[in-house]
Amino acid sequence: MSVTVKIMERKGSSFLEKIYLFEIFKGMRVTLGHLWRNLCDNSRLYVRHYPEVKPEITPRWRGRHRLTTHEDGTVKCVACFMCQTNCPAKCIMIEAGERMDGKSEKVPVRFDIDLLECIYCGYCVEACPMDAIRMDTGIFSVTSYDRESVFVGIDELLATKGAFDEEEYKKGGA
Amino acid sequence: MSQLDILLVLLRVAVGAFVPLCFIAVLVWLERRGAAFFQDRAGPNRANIFGFRAAGLVQNAADGIKLIFKEDVIPGHSAHKFYFVLAPLIVFFCALVSFAVVPFADTLVLEGKQYIMQGIPMDLGILWFLAITGFAVYGIILAGWSSHNKYGVLGALRASAQVISYEIPMGLALVSLLVVYGTINLNEIVHFQGKLLFGFIPMWGVVLQPLAAVIFIVSAFAETNRTPFDLAEGESELVAGFHVEYSAMKFALFFMGEYVAMFVSSSIIITLFFGGYQIPWLSTETLVAYAKPVSMLLMGLVPVAAALFCGWMMKNNKSHYDRPNDPRVREAKVYRIIIWMMVVVVEAVLVGYLLYAAGGAADRILVVLLQIVTFLVKTFMMCFVYVWVRWTLPRFRYDQLQLLGWKMLLPLALLNIFITSAVVVALS
Amino acid sequence: MTKKNIRKGALDIMFAEWLFFGLAGLSVLGAIGLILFRHPMNGAMSFVVTLISLAGLYALLSAKLLFAVQLIVYAGAIMSLIIFIIMFLNIQEHDLPDEEGKGLFLLGGAVVITPIALFLYKIVKSLPGSDTKIIGNGFGDVREVGLILFKNWLLPFEIVSILLLVALVGAVVLAGKKGVGK
Repeated sequence: MSVTVKIMERKGSSFLEKIYLFEIFKGMRVTLGHLWRNLCDNSRLYVRHYPEVKPEITPRWRGRHRLTTHEDGTVKCVACFMCQTNCPAKCIMIEAGERMDGKSEKVPVRFDIDLLECIYCGYCVEACPMDAIRMDTGIFSVTSYDRESVFVGIDELLATKGAFDEEEYKKGGA
Repeated sequence: MSQLDILLVLLRVAVGAFVPLCFIAVLVWLERRGAAFFQDRAGPNRANIFGFRAAGLVQNAADGIKLIFKEDVIPGHSAHKFYFVLAPLIVFFCALVSFAVVPFADTLVLEGKQYIMQGIPMDLGILWFLAITGFAVYGIILAGWSSHNKYGVLGALRASAQVISYEIPMGLALVSLLVVYGTINLNEIVHFQGKLLFGFIPMWGVVLQPLAAVIFIVSAFAETNRTPFDLAEGESELVAGFHVEYSAMKFALFFMGEYVAMFVSSSIIITLFFGGYQIPWLSTETLVAYAKPVSMLLMGLVPVAAALFCGWMMKNNKSHYDRPNDPRVREAKVYRIIIWMMVVVVEAVLVGYLLYAAGGAADRILVVLLQIVTFLVKTFMMCFVYVWVRWTLPRFRYDQLQLLGWKMLLPLALLNIFITSAVVVALS
Repeated sequence: MTKKNIRKGALDIMFAEWLFFGLAGLSVLGAIGLILFRHPMNGAMSFVVTLISLAGLYALLSAKLLFAVQLIVYAGAIMSLIIFIIMFLNIQEHDLPDEEGKGLFLLGGAVVITPIALFLYKIVKSLPGSDTKIIGNGFGDVREVGLILFKNWLLPFEIVSILLLVALVGAVVLAGKKGVGK
């Protein structure tokens, strides 16, 4: 296998370029063009007016977590601790209890995620054998005035619905 | 001291001291919005008072209030707290005082008395500017040294070495300029530039001394520590340079000092190279002689300018997303009313002038006002060039900076002196 | 009207005198500080105060050019270089030498200087009553000083400039590294 060598032309050696001044003026012409364009019509700025105009979130986007449920509304999680073991940031804390409705042996009594610790890597979603935890809520801005409210428990995780329908999620994500 | 004297002293002090201070706000605004538009962004456009954003100027007020109420930290590890407090004061004060000799209008003659239109009536001219800008180095050195911080010391080292070495090409460029003008008095320099070369080109310094203009402007950029020579505060390597340890109003003083220095050096560049307060082709005598036609022309131009500006504003001052009852459109409507009211006031004043006061003292006052406006517009444009260059060029490397200063600008300035002196001697 | 003018003139003279005393006092204080401060930065800064107040004294004597030159060259350039070097060396408290027997030195110095000071005092006292007037128009202006310098004192001026050039070249030779690039 031969290596292809491409010799780039080295710029900046001619006299005019060495004076700098003309090259500087060229650059200034470019920036002034941008200023003038935006000054004449500021609707052409390449910006999203963020808090009012939200960005579009794709199903693959790893947002805030949620816990999924069976059809009858019971929690899918079986407290196998796979996600907690896998978590590189150690932000998931599960406490298991006995399950009485016969769907499995264990059920999480507590399922806390410290969102300040979470690095949104998605390993918990990949590790889950039951497809019980997902990051498809589309919530990308986790902000609050105190630490307690970003320490989410099982009730909040169960209450949040996914932002995409099942088919779209399957196509995009898993 | 008659009442007139006191009034004119007040005017001088107002323009000499408050215009640089007001320009801080304008320049910070210009820097932010200009930077944003150069980079296809919007810039600060949210801060408002009852929905009035004044094109983003309100953001400056918010920042000012924030800086006033922030905790003022004096680092405990600093062994020389006196110098630590003194340094920002030196920087700000020097920047402000160096404006005192820049004439912002021609000498006003009222009732046989002459009133020199500059902050301090003193004919040291450009020497005063050189003397005072030299002092600003103390502030930088003391700030970096007394904060006892490696970034601070490195930033101060860079800044002071840069300022000291660029003062030399600056001074030499000035020498050739002074050879041409034959005076150090800035007002006389501006008078000189009111003449015409070959009868149709204004004898501006930039026409007579293009090389000196380039050298002086480059050195002025370096003196004010602005991009492309702002490695004193190169944030990627030195965090912020000599003012890392400063907070609250002490930091604000450095910040404001930087912008006042930018304003002052723009005004000096304008005065030396771009005709100062002179309106091109219209010297003071011409303006006084033709005060009536000029004011009639103004009466025609002011509404046209206002209409153009209003059209532009109504087109651009609106929200670019669905918003019921858009407050920005309402804001623009209020601005439009204010602008037209101002136009009406200006027209009324001009009509009053034409009917009752034309000829005599009012002509001269009108001319002085026109020249102040010209001076401010020109200085604003030069400040815009500062901003423009800042958002176009990347930062120099430190050795490149010193090479440019010592190996390019210094020999060029010396060469320029020789050529200029030879030409001046040959012509005289 | 005339009485008022006279009083105003007297007030002006008073003001100038007060300025003179203030500036003179400041310059002496700065000089004392230069000697007495232990830290070199304090010493240098008090010397700057001396230089600035000397510039003020020149301005009082309506020597405008000298005032500007004093500010630009001494206070602006030379002292800022010295302070730059002091910052560069980064001298800490423990780097400073012990100054044992400082009081003794001061006492000895005072004893030696006192007769000279008395002598000087006598000279100053024997000066004829000063009747200072501004000599001609534009005295101390850039143009006047330049004309005198380049007409009457051209040769000394050039000799001094050559001397400075020699000093400059000498400094470059001394500072230049030997054997680099060989």
